[in-house]
Amino acid sequence: MEELLSKLKASVIEGDEDKVRSLVEEGLSTGQGPRVLLEGAMMPAMEEIGSRFASGEAYIPELIVAAYAMEAGMEALKPRMAGDDSGGGKVVLGTVAGDIHSIGKNLVRMCLEGAGFDVVDIGEDLKTEKFVEAYREHQPRILGLSALLSSTMLHMREVIEAVRAVDPAAVVMVGGAPVAQEFADEIGASGYAPNAFEAAIVARELS
Amino acid sequence: MNGRERMLEAFARREPDRVPVWEMAFNEESIIKLASFFTDDLPPMKFAQQMTPEEKIKLLNCLFTIVRELELDGLSSLALLNTEPAGEDLVKDGWGRLLRVSEEGEATAVGGPVSSPADLDSLEPYHPQQAELLVLMASKGNFGDEIAQVFVQPGPFRESWTFLGSMEKLLFYYIKDPGFVHALARLATDFILEVVDMAVELGADIIGLDGDLAFSQTTLMAPAQYNEYILPYHKEITARVHEHGRLIFKHSDGNMWPIMDGIVEAGFDGFHPVQPQCMDIGEVKAKYGDRLCILGNIDCMHLLPFGTEEEVERSVKETIAAAAPGGGYVISSSNSIHPGVKPENYLAMVKAARKYGDYPITIGA
Repeated sequence: MEELLSKLKASVIEGDEDKVRSLVEEGLSTGQGPRVLLEGAMMPAMEEIGSRFASGEAYIPELIVAAYAMEAGMEALKPRMAGDDSGGGKVVLGTVAGDIHSIGKNLVRMCLEGAGFDVVDIGEDLKTEKFVEAYREHQPRILGLSALLSSTMLHMREVIEAVRAVDPAAVVMVGGAPVAQEFADEIGASGYAPNAFEAAIVARELS
Repeated sequence: MNGRERMLEAFARREPDRVPVWEMAFNEESIIKLASFFTDDLPPMKFAQQMTPEEKIKLLNCLFTIVRELELDGLSSLALLNTEPAGEDLVKDGWGRLLRVSEEGEATAVGGPVSSPADLDSLEPYHPQQAELLVLMASKGNFGDEIAQVFVQPGPFRESWTFLGSMEKLLFYYIKDPGFVHALARLATDFILEVVDMAVELGADIIGLDGDLAFSQTTLMAPAQYNEYILPYHKEITARVHEHGRLIFKHSDGNMWPIMDGIVEAGFDGFHPVQPQCMDIGEVKAKYGDRLCILGNIDCMHLLPFGTEEEVERSVKETIAAAAPGGGYVISSSNSIHPGVKPENYLAMVKAARKYGDYPITIGA
């Protein structure tokens, strides 16, 4: 079992989707619970790639292939995880009006899914009303706002105000290249992370 | 000295008469707001895509008025590739790239003509047309050699990922299919070289190679990946520009430290915009000031949108003290004058650049 878990962890880190899928299936077929595979191998793999990323040993390409491999593993695990509440809850994620960039948001989505969140990705270039609508519909634990252009990050304040008018306790995370902690504080965001992996960690803390 | 001479002198890393002032881009709203300080002949406040041809000409004239009134030393233009409508908010360019038109005026590829290596065989390369460089021609026609004509073109990384319609896909193939990444870069570079030749023929003095390679924390790719997938193509492009006797700088937001040696090795003459949240301009100057002209650094994320005019003046003074002595510095914002920037703060930035930017620089760092 230990060997399978360590192989599974290594395969997620290497971004080998096929191997991850087959190791997950092998684990499940030998009677391992999905939580053992997730918490014993896949999450530690994401943590490992995240710390390699933070220390400059890994870059976005490595993060992307690992996130894809993680996603492949989660897909294989999902049918066996029904009713299991080990996930972090629901997150609604979108890019604010005027911004059609999606890479930052997509990386955050991959990492949040990897961290067990149920992510509703509502897309890019969204007007404030769309966020409010999605918040009402999905009642997420966290609303995530992304912006890549400094010209569009100003819309984040507007979204936070509109969503808090609906639910004063709304938890809103912000991120994206032009966003910094001081800006996040200024607009009243509940959380900020400078990269996708840390977004998953902050989301875990906030959820 | 006129603006062109001033910019070229700075690019040669010598001291001109004063620190040149230039911007890589202004958005429609910023142009209209700034021009309103100098003229009443303004187009309606809307996005260029929604303007009539007459309104677009008015917008361009407003930009020229700003350059003239503020005595900017260079003007940036870019190729506006022909597109045809392809659905709501979508247009398609000559490569078959689907671009989503944003209200902010920046169109970004959301779908590409290539999704796998097999698609490359049937892809018909698109060749640029002179009419697509209309803004450069208009600027050259208006200003001639009075100011530097800066032509901004996406680099091989950005062109490559737009063929796929997604940056993640390209970065995914960095690990999964190196041959495919090179094939895309080849296609992109051949196109860029054609555009560069045409821009030079139409009067460009300086080429700016656009397309971010970094974000706030670090580069998008490892230094080894930059060396493998981008550097050889950057070298080809800088060599071509230098054959024409012109200059070229690399633009990238974010923390570019991991690949700065590569930017020098690639043969770039300058680096823009030294995003102050990620890179210290004094350090960049100390380490690369003898090989690169440095452009930018006045914070447009926080200072220009939210700061006071006094804070802007202080930042300009400090930046000039750190980067301008000895030459090789062009002042600009840390990206562009976007709609969030207070026009008064931009005017304060230009004013302060004139107040502290005369050579020899007498203010201490």
